[in-house]
Amino acid sequence: MTEVANFLAHAVALEAEAVERYDELADAMEVHNNMEVADLFRQLAKFSRLHLAEVKETAKGVELPHLKPWEYQWHSAEGPESAPMERTHYRMTPYHCVHLALANERRGHQYYADLAYKAKDAEVKKLAQQFADEEAQHVVMLEKWAATIKEPEADWDVDFDPPTDAD
Amino acid sequence: MNVQAPPLTHNDYKSDVKPIWCPGCGDYAVLSAVTRALADLGRPREQIAFISGIGCSSRIPAYTNVYGFHGVHGRALAIAAGVKLARPDLTVLAAGGDGDGLSIGGNHFMHACRRNVDMTYIVMDNEVYGMTKGQASPTTAPDWCKSKLTPEGTGIAPVDPCRLALAAGANFIARGFAGNPNEVARFIVEGINHPGFSFIQVLSPCVTYRPEQREWKSIVHPADASPAQIMAEAMHRLAADDGFTTGVLFQGNRAPFQPIGKNVATFADLERKFES
Repeated sequence: MTEVANFLAHAVALEAEAVERYDELADAMEVHNNMEVADLFRQLAKFSRLHLAEVKETAKGVELPHLKPWEYQWHSAEGPESAPMERTHYRMTPYHCVHLALANERRGHQYYADLAYKAKDAEVKKLAQQFADEEAQHVVMLEKWAATIKEPEADWDVDFDPPTDAD
Repeated sequence: MNVQAPPLTHNDYKSDVKPIWCPGCGDYAVLSAVTRALADLGRPREQIAFISGIGCSSRIPAYTNVYGFHGVHGRALAIAAGVKLARPDLTVLAAGGDGDGLSIGGNHFMHACRRNVDMTYIVMDNEVYGMTKGQASPTTAPDWCKSKLTPEGTGIAPVDPCRLALAAGANFIARGFAGNPNEVARFIVEGINHPGFSFIQVLSPCVTYRPEQREWKSIVHPADASPAQIMAEAMHRLAADDGFTTGVLFQGNRAPFQPIGKNVATFADLERKFES
């Protein structure tokens, strides 16, 4: 396995996991009737799908290694662009959703920027820098998007028919 | 022409049913870990049986694309043992929550551990009964007082599922965290591959009734030693453990349970009996 193949396998997994998590969150929000946020997660999944297609195009012709899920060398437990599940809430608002996506893209950028800095292989360094630059553009785009959304009131999670009002 | 089907991916092990778990629930990660583990093992879907009890987490078989049985409260292990003994060729998984597995099913759990039938049991532990809206479970800390049923806490020492499993005779014990689904997938693969009864506790936050569990991410820590192979050593380590150590904690070498004697009837015999 070449270092480039290993790098690209990680890049494909990074985007694929992001797509999957956004889809999962969109489904979860739909089930909980938070349609506005469900639509946003669906859109984010769509963007990640486009990035995934781009990465796959770059990897065309390279024989990628088959890595087991626990063999990926991320800086954290999951792929850097996978939205942390525990940071979601059934009453979350577009503000939270876009800021969550922004944090994901920042981690993605950091991941590639670190690789670009540390990689010994010249081709990996070049690719990592290219991907870091792309992620930086995504960060800027999301920052602009986030700036257009007003922060919700402090009581955004108050539910007048709460699931926690039980016994 | 002999055309080989492409290998199954983890998505092939997911059903089309959308989970109704709360967004943020750790059980999503367990579903992801199970499907990734099954894809890694490459077992055909029809050779896997997934049995559960009752509770939020016990919905999990419906979200997979293998044979499933959403069973009776606390009785997942009894059903799973029956499936495995009747069909030893199947890979049998059982799953449920801490209440289902350690309270209502506590007795089954103990005896499943000592019986050591070759199957894998996943307990998604969130230290609360979620489906019935937030009551203390056997793994709840004694001073948790957020339920109106126990306004001053239960005052009862919680069960440590791994210690209980070890004392009762489980042959493989691991603890994972839902925030690290890839590691949980590895534990499931290792548990399935290990002969006998494998027990995997997954710390799976309930963000609705135990929102403070979102912070588990900063509390869990990996085991700093390779899995204990001797019970006394494992017990010694678990006695000093804070309940947040993740890793494979014990790998025993007991032979799995084999029924004594021969089958007295085949499935065909049973079917004829039902038809007559």
